[in-house]
Amino acid sequence: MDRQYQKYVGDFIIWSVLLTMPLWLHLVGGYTPLGTRVLIMALAAMALNFLLGYTGVLSFGHAAYFGLGAYGAGLTIKYLIPNTLAGMGVGLIVGIVAAAIIGLLIIRLRGIYFAMVTIAFGQVFYFIAYRWNNITGGDDGLSGWSRQPIDLGFFKIDILHDEKAFYYFVLFFFAISVAIMAAILRSPFGRTLLAIRENERRARFLGIPIDRHVWMSWLISCTFVSLAGTLYALLNNFADPHDLRWDQSGDFVMMAVLGGMRSFWGPLIGAAMFVVLQDYVSSMTSNWMSFIGLFFVLVVLFCPRGVLGIIRRRQVQ
Amino acid sequence: MTQLILYNVFNGLIIGAFYALMALGLSLILNLSGVINFAHGGFLAIGAYFAFALIPFVGFWGALLIAPILTALLGGVIERILIRPLYGRDPLYGLLLTFGLAFIIEDGTRKIWGPQTLPFSVPEWMSTPLSANYFFLTGYRLFMVALVTVAVIVLFVVLNRTRLGMRIRAGTLDLETVSVLGVNVRILRSVNFGLGIYLAGLAGVLAAGMLGLQPTIGTDLIMPSFVAIIVGGLGSLPGTLVGGLLIGVASGVTSVFFPSASEAVIYIMMGLVLLVRPRGLFGEEGRF
Amino acid sequence: MSLLRVENITKRFGSLVAVGGASLTVEPGQLYAVIGPNGAGKTTFFNLISGFLTPTSGRIIFNEEDVTNLLPAKRVWRGMARTFQITEVFPELSVFENLQIAVETASGFRLRMRLSPSEKQKVCARTEELLEISGLSPKARRLVGELSHGDQRAIEIMMALALNPRLLLLDEPTAGMGDQETHDITQLIRRLHRDQKLAMVLIEHDMRVVLHLAERIMVLAEGCMLAEGTPKEVTSNEAVQSAYLGTAAA
Repeated sequence: MDRQYQKYVGDFIIWSVLLTMPLWLHLVGGYTPLGTRVLIMALAAMALNFLLGYTGVLSFGHAAYFGLGAYGAGLTIKYLIPNTLAGMGVGLIVGIVAAAIIGLLIIRLRGIYFAMVTIAFGQVFYFIAYRWNNITGGDDGLSGWSRQPIDLGFFKIDILHDEKAFYYFVLFFFAISVAIMAAILRSPFGRTLLAIRENERRARFLGIPIDRHVWMSWLISCTFVSLAGTLYALLNNFADPHDLRWDQSGDFVMMAVLGGMRSFWGPLIGAAMFVVLQDYVSSMTSNWMSFIGLFFVLVVLFCPRGVLGIIRRRQVQ
Repeated sequence: MTQLILYNVFNGLIIGAFYALMALGLSLILNLSGVINFAHGGFLAIGAYFAFALIPFVGFWGALLIAPILTALLGGVIERILIRPLYGRDPLYGLLLTFGLAFIIEDGTRKIWGPQTLPFSVPEWMSTPLSANYFFLTGYRLFMVALVTVAVIVLFVVLNRTRLGMRIRAGTLDLETVSVLGVNVRILRSVNFGLGIYLAGLAGVLAAGMLGLQPTIGTDLIMPSFVAIIVGGLGSLPGTLVGGLLIGVASGVTSVFFPSASEAVIYIMMGLVLLVRPRGLFGEEGRF
Repeated sequence: MSLLRVENITKRFGSLVAVGGASLTVEPGQLYAVIGPNGAGKTTFFNLISGFLTPTSGRIIFNEEDVTNLLPAKRVWRGMARTFQITEVFPELSVFENLQIAVETASGFRLRMRLSPSEKQKVCARTEELLEISGLSPKARRLVGELSHGDQRAIEIMMALALNPRLLLLDEPTAGMGDQETHDITQLIRRLHRDQKLAMVLIEHDMRVVLHLAERIMVLAEGCMLAEGTPKEVTSNEAVQSAYLGTAAA
């Protein structure tokens, strides 16, 4: 009962903070797009953690689907239909299709082999974006387009010029995604994923077809990562080939670990810390890569269970 | 046209030899320690920069001899301090740590030696073409192929004929038994790590002579090395070697006909291999 | 109609013969034990029955169906559940959740995103029932990883039972346990056999456990069937006495 109560309090605090963020962020030295970035990165990290923390499968190539979402949205808005929601839809579908196909190739692999293959596959899309420069803009990225105000006839919202409106637009998708993931994790299907994480052999002998369930988990995870990618392109009005690269994948894993892989909200905390740190360090010094690298090393050595992991352990003791 | 294809096949072989050298080192470390060393490309760069710093004092040959050894020693120290605590833990942590390390190394070399491409001089006689018809056959390239061949042969002899090599291979199969037999597993892993890094350092010196020297020199080579390991089959060093050469040639040949796909082709190859044979060409069944 | 028929099964790894021609028949509700010294091929034999390995030759008939080449998961769906020599549970989940996952899978809910209240009720009731049978109810909310080896083994057996098997395969259920724990597990097996009328095949190297539990016994030595019959017949068999009891005494 106590734990349940604590969970409700935690949820309440997190949602209140997220709902009010644009109102006070400037008071603590932030700015609204930074808050939006936190939300988007948190969505990506939580989606990754669905696979990493709740299915026990290590993917180091999620940036590929993030980037596919971003390019899918950007290319659609730039060349096909100047409509934000259409762009998001296309980006999402591109990411899902790619994840479904690559998923079929890799689900039979496990552990470190799986990680390695996901890293390598991530690079294909990077090279496509990088090389196909008359369409994608190559190394310079895809620019020359911008998100469009939403107009559903009965409902209009100018997310292009009103940063706060765009924040709430992103928060809307964040909330839906998070609610879906939480519902899945509480379902019988979600519990089979936990079972696979805990002990694959036992799960197999309960009659759970492991490969199929891992594939579905991978697909769910990649779907929400692609969604985050589309939102990220909309935020920047730009798609960057680096969004597709392995360093971006590493950042997502870092966010999940930093916050705590075994807690649902951990990756949100991790993403917030990581984004703020990156923003701060890169504005202070040109050697931000060393700082981030050092940060990775320190977290792995001294804080491997993440922030929420530490807090929880304190409580148990 | 034949000349162009020959040129690209040969070029592919050289690039493939680099991939193989990198991938063999990665494989050694992965097999015995279970760590995917993301910083391997960084160590390659360090080897190259060490050589660059040494050449004014000891010449090219001296640098070729000393730089990889220094790199290996540095690798051993880093293994001892940073990587050893991670053994036996989720492979995730090894990945993240070496990932951070790769960042630090790339930024560090940029800080010390600058972001621009540095001239890396190889002996004069090596850089002139040997034949007018086959302009791409410079002495340096032939030398590189020869040296990589020798290095690979020595590596396999060491692994198959010496006590150290036997222990490494035995440890790869069953670390527990090896430690019960009285082998110091910690030292074995350190030495093995150093050996892997030595290969990276060697590849670094050679690569700098061909591609020029810049901080990202290793980063561009690491992903194909992963692909080489996957194509060749995890756990099999001969497989890694074949995988490296194979993807090198494939990307060389593709660059003749469809240059913009020369990078993507190796990933397509990897996809095909995984489709037909998930454990890779020479991978052992049931190991992964 | 017999439940399980193993017909002259062999398994070779290269030149090594792990199991060389073993046969057995298990009737519904029967408690059958396979014993033998370490290295006798018991675990290989067991893995052949449960589908972890496929035999080099011979047939396995389960419920009048040839399952020789069937995947483990498919055998599970046909009513064959197993436990492992090294306890395989979900350590970071609670006892309740461990059994709940097994019950939900057995009920065909593994792909469901939500359950109706009545389905939920059914899963809950069945889980509680299993907890009751095993005597683990007081520990339902504890994490399995924190419990004793004996409790974990009991949970594993109950997870297998949750699948409503016709046949339960137990791989050395008392391996590595103290006297008290061995006693508790033995009692649990006896209860399941008596109350649930469950057919079981268990592998043991501990003769004491087997003699008091099993209705029929097969003795394996170096991959070959040495003897087969009731506990009395087996213990009075000379070959068994020299090969198994002899070495056990020495």
